[in-house]
Amino acid sequence: MLCILVGFCLQEAFVSRTTSTAIPRSTVATMAATRRNVLRGIGLSGLAVGGASLLAACGGDSGPATGSGATVKFGINEAEGSGPAYDRLKAIAAAYGKESDTEVKLNAVDHNTFQESINTYLQGTPDDVFTWFAGFRMAQFAEAGLISDVSDQWPIDGLNDSFKQAATAPDGKQYFVPVSYYPWALFYRKSIFEKNGWAPPESNNDFMELMKDMQGKGITPIAFGDKDGWPAMGTFDILNMRLNGFDYHMSLMAGEEKWDSDEVKGVFETWRTLLPYHQADPLGRTWQEAATSMGKGESGMYLLGTFVVDAIADQADDIDFFTFPELDSAIGADALDAPIDGFCVASAGKNQEAGKAMAKWLGSAAAADAGNAGADAPFIAANEGASTSSYNDLQKKSAEVVGAAANIAQFMDRDTNADFANTVMIPSIQAFLKDPDDIDGVTASIQEQAASIFG
Amino acid sequence: MSGIDSVLVATVPPLGDKQAPPKRKEGGVLSKRRGALVTVIIALLALAWLFPLLWALINSFREYEYTQANGYLSFGGWTTSNYEQAWTQGNFGLHMKNSLLITVPAVVLTLWLSSMVAFVLARFSYRFNLALLGVFLAANLLPPQALLIPVFRMFREIPLPYFMSDSGSMLNSFWALILVNTAFQMGFCTFVLSNYMKTLPYEIYESAELDGASVWRQYWQLTMPLVRPALAALATLQVTWVYNEFFWATVLIQQGDKLPVTSALNNLRGQFFTDTNLVAAGSIIVALPVLVVFFALQKQFVSGLTLGSTKG
Repeated sequence: MLCILVGFCLQEAFVSRTTSTAIPRSTVATMAATRRNVLRGIGLSGLAVGGASLLAACGGDSGPATGSGATVKFGINEAEGSGPAYDRLKAIAAAYGKESDTEVKLNAVDHNTFQESINTYLQGTPDDVFTWFAGFRMAQFAEAGLISDVSDQWPIDGLNDSFKQAATAPDGKQYFVPVSYYPWALFYRKSIFEKNGWAPPESNNDFMELMKDMQGKGITPIAFGDKDGWPAMGTFDILNMRLNGFDYHMSLMAGEEKWDSDEVKGVFETWRTLLPYHQADPLGRTWQEAATSMGKGESGMYLLGTFVVDAIADQADDIDFFTFPELDSAIGADALDAPIDGFCVASAGKNQEAGKAMAKWLGSAAAADAGNAGADAPFIAANEGASTSSYNDLQKKSAEVVGAAANIAQFMDRDTNADFANTVMIPSIQAFLKDPDDIDGVTASIQEQAASIFG
Repeated sequence: MSGIDSVLVATVPPLGDKQAPPKRKEGGVLSKRRGALVTVIIALLALAWLFPLLWALINSFREYEYTQANGYLSFGGWTTSNYEQAWTQGNFGLHMKNSLLITVPAVVLTLWLSSMVAFVLARFSYRFNLALLGVFLAANLLPPQALLIPVFRMFREIPLPYFMSDSGSMLNSFWALILVNTAFQMGFCTFVLSNYMKTLPYEIYESAELDGASVWRQYWQLTMPLVRPALAALATLQVTWVYNEFFWATVLIQQGDKLPVTSALNNLRGQFFTDTNLVAAGSIIVALPVLVVFFALQKQFVSGLTLGSTKG
């Protein structure tokens, strides 16, 4: 017993020393060790069961790498039975299995768990291909060597340059294959706008007048809830893009601009002038409750992603949207948040070749069509060649609006360091919403923390 | 435990006793007035503890649409569909089985190993006895979060044959969870069991020795039957703890269909949308097995834990 204990302690001391080194180096080192250990494991187990033939029957490494009889593991961030998103991915996996004569092993983990444990997942025993997001968070893993370069699979038919851009890490290579996206915009109920004779605003003046008119009629102009911390990021994103432009927004997200600058303060100041038109006390309200208030007609508009209809399914047919109006004519209104979902190939996946081949196919129009045919609700396909016949009005319009946008951001928590977004920006924005007058204090504290995270 | 017992005894009014009850000294530890005060405080605390649970229980029987439209303070929208949906959507059948496959071996292994350690610590006096008990207790004080990275990396480096684990390593296998839970629970179990074993009269062992019983026999046939109440109490606690364990399962298991039921509760949450009533129903389902075990073994639990506490 004692010697086992000592052994444990020694090993722990050794292992923890290796963890203190920078992630990329240790990851590369331990990945090599993993491969060796797998071989050693095969040797050991051979001894244990007395023959390698038995192993070949149950081992995952047997068979050809690609094509007929190959196996590829596919990790997806939707739990089994969780709805259309799972159904689509399952249909896509099945279609690929059929078409390439590959066995696709599905590993379904619920969205939040998958996202929260992504670091241990990629450094542990990941699947060959897995669902992920475009943007900074893809680039972070590319730099750490945790996901594989798939630039040899690009270009992919039907994926235009803006998607290729979104799939590219700072080293100029592609590490990602996009499949779908959804826009963030101001949603409203058509019937309520009709009844009151309102129209989507064309300019900032229209917008202000619309909001004043709403207030006059006893309707809160903009629904707002930030209990979970992330929804208000969308407001910051769009105000920053409208006031300071897309390029500034992206370099701010990348940690290249100062958060206590006049530009950022300007965003918070504009936000403060808009707050009286928002629902009061947003920190005690979830986005679902805010959406409900719009569904009931208590609020006029709601700045959110298209998923807003999930919370007010009864009124889904009555929902329409417009993009946030221009605030500065020199900047215009041609940028918006439209997070792109897609796939990456894990470096530690066992079947790289099959993973990359599958990733390429996942970006095709056939993959998008298979997904949309297999579920009740379609996604908006990234591939131009995908069929749009199953789209509802909201999605047709989304595709149009995003297609017309000159620049597409991915949403704050995907465009910047995940630690920064979650541990700095969520509490900071909430502090601002609690006390909108202390802009200097909030921006100074963000800058201080940003400096320590981005270095 | 004993404190609460005496409070309960003190607050029960004497029932129709003709003889004058022994007069309590005014200003004693628990005078009548203080006893009443304690009762009120305890009742309030109990309410504060129970309220969220009862609230979840009530809302798990209500439709999401109804509560969303009328607020949670309303009354109505009763349904049992949340439970059916939670069971199917959360795939609880599979995950309950996973939990069973993890909990039962882990509890059996923990009790078996720690009873052996405790036996040695209680019955033999070696020089390192106290130090060893200290090591076990110290390990118990370490927060598991602090050991996350070492354990994760260690398990990644330990190869397992493919028929034991699809991943070829300890990661993604039940073995990992069983081992980790056993390791983290052993400290507490050893402590409780060794203290309990120390209360067994030494003379039994002397006569056993005279009759020629080996150390193994002293352990298996003499000590184990005598510590059965403590084992039952610990088993109850351990089943609860290991079953409720969430942290290691999320870290060490990356395959959705291998998650235990506590982690699988997350399956009921969507990417953006969360039906809180559905999650409440799921939580109740997940909590049920623990409640059943706890109430079924409650008697053992209380007597087992207090038996060792008063050394007479």
